[in-house]
Amino acid sequence: MSANESTRLRVLAATLRCVERWGLEKTSLEDVAREAEVSRATVYRYFPGGREQLVHETVVWEVGRFFQLLEQATAVESTLDGKLRRGLMFGHRAVKEHALLQHILATEPEALLAELSNAFPLIEQAVRGYFLALLRSEPLRPDVSAAEAADYLTRLFFSYVGSQGQWDFAEPDAVDDLVRTQFLAGVLAERPG
Amino acid sequence: MARFSERDGLGLGSRLTEERLRPALVPTRPGPPGEVTDSGVDRRIEAAALRCITRRGVRRTTLDDVAREAGCSRATIYRAFPGGKDAVMASAAHAEIEQLLDHLGAAVERTTTLADALVAAITGATRAVLGHEAFTYLLVNEPGAVQPYLAFDGLDPVLARAVSFLTPHLEPYLDRTTARRTAEWVARLVVLYAEPGAPFDLADPDDARQLVAIHVLPGLEATRPQEQQS
Repeated sequence: MSANESTRLRVLAATLRCVERWGLEKTSLEDVAREAEVSRATVYRYFPGGREQLVHETVVWEVGRFFQLLEQATAVESTLDGKLRRGLMFGHRAVKEHALLQHILATEPEALLAELSNAFPLIEQAVRGYFLALLRSEPLRPDVSAAEAADYLTRLFFSYVGSQGQWDFAEPDAVDDLVRTQFLAGVLAERPG
Repeated sequence: MARFSERDGLGLGSRLTEERLRPALVPTRPGPPGEVTDSGVDRRIEAAALRCITRRGVRRTTLDDVAREAGCSRATIYRAFPGGKDAVMASAAHAEIEQLLDHLGAAVERTTTLADALVAAITGATRAVLGHEAFTYLLVNEPGAVQPYLAFDGLDPVLARAVSFLTPHLEPYLDRTTARRTAEWVARLVVLYAEPGAPFDLADPDDARQLVAIHVLPGLEATRPQEQQS
């Protein structure tokens, strides 16, 4: 990693720590500079858009790390079905157990949700790409396009990971039903027998 | 995590459903037992609040704005809604949701096949929500007022209300568990595809039918019959 990349990461990590301590609204650029042990000028060099850009990129970074963890957790599965099942179970638990996320949702949701909506198209694109790659090695239903299927799986996956509704993700049978019916029945070609 | 009792699905427990919704979605009605509440006044105040929201959103609407718009005094509002502005707003939202569901129920009731019921529910809900002036004003100008209900834990009560509403309409075709799961699935799809530029425009019955044909019907075919939940 170059010195530049490592400084940028240091600032992002410092931003997270500040938000944990003071909340999203109350975290200032000065706080972050102090926490990262760099000058304000340095922070502005990496984030010329100031506090707004810093917060935005911190959110994108943290969400990126979440999905990296998700990818690692699902790597052990070799089929799309397996990855979805494990992804839902792990992802749902990871969201619930993400202390900072839950804290901000409880205390100042508007600011965070606004950031997440801004970041969403980028995040969605990354996840869609992931599903698209997986779909290429699965037999699809004859009139289904891989692009539409990837889009559909992405949307539904985000929906369930974020909000469990009536489902108990600790129950493997239920998760299996969910994945088989709502996610994959319209996407994968029927297996014989 | 709140679980809705099976009774809600039959429509008998609409107040039960309310009691389990998030506080912001539940109006607390005032008055000692025996007092006759003037529901006409309540509705007038709620309607006035909605008009105010359509003009300047929730945050910038004051109780005085609502009183002026309703043509009544602040005292009248407080008598009807002792919880003040929050209570008025929550009640207005609740009333709009229930009205939407009434109309939606009538449309779904006119259908005679499962596919038609699903399409009617999806297009009806999408059109009603995206055509709702106050809601779309907030979506565009004050997203913080509505986003908490569209993601994470905040979405759960919305899904639960959708389930209690739609499940009875699906039960002629599906076992109860599958009906409840399908109702929630459909509600998620409406929320998921409501954004502009989405690949399916669910306000369009043709697009809704396509989505149902591609994903929902095959999903139902792949469903194993579920045991009845007690």
